[in-house]
Order: sequence, then C-alpha cells, then structure tokens
Amino acid sequence: MTNRLTIGAAAALALLAGPAGAASILIGVQAPTTGTYADEGQGIEKAVKLLAEQQNAKGGLLGQKIEVKVCDDEGKAPQAAICARQLVNDKVIAVIGSYTSGCALAAQPIYAAANVIQTSDGTSDKLLEKGYKTWFGNAAPNSAEAEFTGEYLVKVRGFKNIAVLTDHSAFATGLADAVIAAIKANNGNVIEKAFVNEGSQNFTPVLTKLKAMNPDVLYYSGYYSDGGLIKAQMQQLGMNAVFVGGDANQNVQFAKIAGPAAAGSIIINVPAPQYLPYPAAKQFVTDYEKKYGAVPPSVFTLTNADGMRAVLEAIEKTNSTDPDKLMDYMHNLKEFQGLTGPFRWSGRGERIGSPFVAFEVQADGSDKILYPKQN
Amino acid sequence: MGTFVQQVFNGLTVGGIYALIALGYTMVYGVMRLINFAHGDLCILGAFVGLTLLTGTAASGQPGALVLLLAFAVAIVVIAAAGVVLELVAYRPLRKADRLSAVVSALGASLLIENSIMLIWGPNVHVFPAGLLPDVIWHVAGATITFVQVMIIFASVALMAALYYFVHHTLFGTAIRAVAIDQDAARLMGINVNRIIMTVFIVGPALGAIGGLFIGVYYRQAYFTMGWTYGLYAFIAAILGGIGNIPGAMIGGVLLGLFNAFAAGYLSSSWQDAITFGLLIAILLVRPTGLLGEPVAENA
Repeated sequence: MTNRLTIGAAAALALLAGPAGAASILIGVQAPTTGTYADEGQGIEKAVKLLAEQQNAKGGLLGQKIEVKVCDDEGKAPQAAICARQLVNDKVIAVIGSYTSGCALAAQPIYAAANVIQTSDGTSDKLLEKGYKTWFGNAAPNSAEAEFTGEYLVKVRGFKNIAVLTDHSAFATGLADAVIAAIKANNGNVIEKAFVNEGSQNFTPVLTKLKAMNPDVLYYSGYYSDGGLIKAQMQQLGMNAVFVGGDANQNVQFAKIAGPAAAGSIIINVPAPQYLPYPAAKQFVTDYEKKYGAVPPSVFTLTNADGMRAVLEAIEKTNSTDPDKLMDYMHNLKEFQGLTGPFRWSGRGERIGSPFVAFEVQADGSDKILYPKQN
Repeated sequence: MGTFVQQVFNGLTVGGIYALIALGYTMVYGVMRLINFAHGDLCILGAFVGLTLLTGTAASGQPGALVLLLAFAVAIVVIAAAGVVLELVAYRPLRKADRLSAVVSALGASLLIENSIMLIWGPNVHVFPAGLLPDVIWHVAGATITFVQVMIIFASVALMAALYYFVHHTLFGTAIRAVAIDQDAARLMGINVNRIIMTVFIVGPALGAIGGLFIGVYYRQAYFTMGWTYGLYAFIAAILGGIGNIPGAMIGGVLLGLFNAFAAGYLSSSWQDAITFGLLIAILLVRPTGLLGEPVAENA
C-alpha cells in the first residue's frame, strides 16, 4: 500500500516536472499594451517577440527556446506591481519594460527581491536611488537629458524667458526639475513652472496663463499624447513661443495629434528609429516593419530591444541562466553595441552613453536634426 | 483683460460639453433615481462612431461640413439606440430590485461599453482628421476664439434651450416631469411610464453623443478610457447644479468649466482640480441639494 502510494506520488511528480524539464528560457514583458500609451506598450511587446523569434530561428539559446510572457500594466502603478508579482510567479529570468517610469518604479522592488533582471526605458532618476543590482535602465536618465536640454535652450538657442510645463507623473516632474536646474546652471531664466493633468485634454487655461507671460519657449517634459495636444492648443491660442518637448514626445503619434500645428516643434531625445545611423538599427527597423507593417512607434521600442539584446547576449556569453552571472556580465560590459548607439551600465544600472539630439518636426511629419550639426 | 476673456471662452467651451453630458445623468436620475454610470462611456462611444464615419468619408472629397453633419446624425442615432438597449437589458429587469443592484448593473454596463470600444477600435489614442471645419479665428478683446469653440458654445446653448422647451412646454415634457415627481401617481393619470423612461434614455444619450463628438472635434483625440474622465466631470456638474434638475445640469456644467479655467489660470495649475473640487464642496455645504436642487424628502 505504502509502496503503491509512493509510486503514485512519484509518477505525479514526474508528470508535474515533465513540462519544466523541457523548459524554455522565459523572458517577461511588462508594458502598457492598453490605455493611453498603448502603442508604446505594444511596440515593446512586438520588439521583444521579434527578437525572441529571430533567436529561436537560430536554434534558441543553450539548446532551449526563448518564450515571452506579457503582462499589461495599463500604464498604472498599482497594476504594474500586480504584473511584477505575476511575472515573478511565472519564473521569468528577466523582464523588459515598462514604458513609464512610474510603472517601472512600482515594479522595481518586487523584481529586486526576486532577483529578476529588469530593463526598462524608465528615465526617472528615482529609479537609480535604491541602487538595485537587478535594474538596467535602457534609456539615459533624466539628469543626462536635462544637461543637454539646459545647454541647448540657453547656450545654443539663446532663449531668454523659458516656461516649463509638466504633468504630475514621476518621470515628467523629475525631468522638469532637472531641466530647470540645468537652465539655471547655464544662467538661463525660468519664468514659470506650470502643471497639466495627464489626459485631461483641457490645457487652454494654463496655456492662456503662460501666454500672458510672453515666454520665448515652452518646454514640456510630459508624454506625446498630451504634448501633441498642447502644441495644437498653443496654435489655437495664437501663442508664439517655440515648443520644445522632452524625450517622451518622440512618438509617431505626436505629429498626428498636433495636426497642422506639429511643424516647428522641437523634441530632444536620441534620434527616432528611422534616423539612427547604425546598420544594426536599420536592419531591426526593416525587420520590424516587415513583420508588423509599421515602423516602431518611438525610439523606446529600440532601447527596450537593446535591453532584450543585452540579456540574450549575456545568456549566450555566460552559457547560463543564473541571474547573478547574467547581471555580473551586463554590469561589466565595457561597451554594449546597442541599436540606439554604444553604451554601458554603471553599477546602479544607469545607462551611460546616449547621443542626444534636438530635432524639429517638419510639415510632412519627418524630423530634421537641428543640433548637434550633422554632416 | 485679454487673458480674462480668453479664460471665459476656454471655460465656456468645455463647460458646454460638460453640460451636454451632465443632462443625461440628471434626466435619468430625475425619472429613475438612478445614477447611470455608463453614460460617460456612451458619450465616448458616440465620439468613436463619429470618428469612424469621419475617417471613412473624409477622403471622399465631400465638403467637411456635410461629412461632419452626417457623422453627428449617425452618432446620435446609434447612441440613442444603445441607450434604449442599455435600459432594456441593464436597468428594466432591476427596476423593482434594490437600488444598489441597479448601481452595480450601471457600473458593469460602463465597463462593458469601455471594453467593447477597446476591442472594436483598439487601445490606442485615435486622432480625428484635421481640416474638417473652417480654420477661422476671431480676435475678441485680446482673446483668440476658433470656429470650433464658437460652434460648440452656440450648439450647446441651442440644444439646452430646445431641451428646456421640450420638457417644460410640451405635453410629453410635462409627462416626463410627472413621472419624475411620482411614478405611481403618473401611472394612475394614464401616463405610460415605460415609454417616458425610454424617451429619457433616447434624449440623454443623444445629447451625450453630441457632447462626445464635440470632444473629438475640439481636441481631435479619442481613447477608450476617456468616458470615465468626462463622465466623472459631468456627473459632478449634475450634482453641482442639483441632480434631477435640468437647468441645474446646464448651469453646473458651465460653472465647472469656468471654475477649472480660472483655478488653472489665476491660482495654481498644479492644484487646479483640488481648488475646483474644494469650491464644489463649499457650495454643497451651503446648498446640499445643489444650486437649483430643491430639498427632497426621501420616499419611505
């Protein structure tokens, strides 16, 4: 009797263990695939799936297939924490995403506790504060972007009166504060810092207030869905200030939302995917377009793809899926050849090395790089 | 001065939209004592139906005004029909049930419509075609006012005036008011209560569809979760004016738009919602039934 039970239990265990034995390498995607930032979230999901597919076509890694698990965090912090727990329970070894800093921030301690690699385009400097070794930011932090922005606005363009507008998100307020500090460091003049409510659409009251202050330039640190609308409403109000947007305004939707008002907007970021000079980037954009019928929505699709590529490279080079070995490998990379340019990670997971540019949206929706001057 | 006039126009434009949507909440509450939480989502559904027609016909080379009129007409019909279906499916079976059941049903209907929009149109931000309306800008006392704003303000006022006339000066409107006061007595007087409720679920969503499409035409942007945001604002406008009271919803909507514009423009843009809602709480403390609401004795 006892024997039979033992055999039964063993058989049951073997059955349970069965699928795990033939396991694949699990990579998680945490991204807002629905909601206001859906196209960014879907971009991340599509990029990671494309890379997994390409790797599997080459026979996978360590003799196993790469499998992608996706969780939709809706761009909301509480949902991001739920996603993080879910992906940890699914036993992923690394998570790509999320798009917003707020969501990456909410998920960060959960991945850190579970020793799961997290690579996101979140640029809020708050993401670096705790110094989690599981954190690998795949876009340069706000402080680096702010430095470039302050210099560009004050030194390069010589703007005298600068108004700064932000939403209430962790990312945008952080960037706005960093930009204000950088403008002041360059002896520039910030005449006002004002706020909009994300997604509220009704920005004319605050823009009317800013218009009365006669700024030369309005710098907006929030996201493209609001940024495009702000540019359109500036035109509606007859506001002549130059619109300069932070990195999250770089999205194919920006020009569509701003409509005829889009032309002349300046956005500061690494170049949009189609303007990246690197052959690997061109190849990736071509593959992406071929598979999905559209170009990636923004450069953050590619920075997250870089996060995925770094994880895959680490698995291949260390011949292991042990998270500690992978993290060591990634931290010690001297220069990772990213689609978005060569970069490396500091000990606290800060991306070092990002070729920022200021580009102007043209009437036909294309971008023209204004600074630094291109050959 | 220019800034002040500009803020008034900013406030009136959104206020008109809030008011159109608020009417749907207040009419349904008036006759059924029910908060129709699905109303905001119905309005945004109207925006999406209109958007589909606009993108479908914008390339046809027809004049923008004609295309726009067609979009409004179709959105009104579709959303009015959706309102009727909503009443029949989600509310009529629960009319005799506990009031809480109807509220839960309303919340469920809201989620159902929101997610249906997501499944049909996708989760992305949708952009309305540009250049449908003349690109005319007027300069009034230092403020700039666009054609779309004037259209929204005038159309909202005209629709509200028409609704006011319908409810207060026609026999059908009198019947609606009678049902609002006392359903049983109205039934004894030979009024078909079901028909009245049905009418309310046609008129409210039809006005809401116009409001929803105004949002789309003004901001040229629509996404599936928008119904909740606008529904909440409009619901608050209805409460501010005195829920159940039709002129109250109109005044509440316009005041809410103006409050918001002045809070953001003159006090603090980071506290604009807190200031707006603080003011609302203050008003409700003084007048608990809203600006035009009358003291109501709860039915036993």
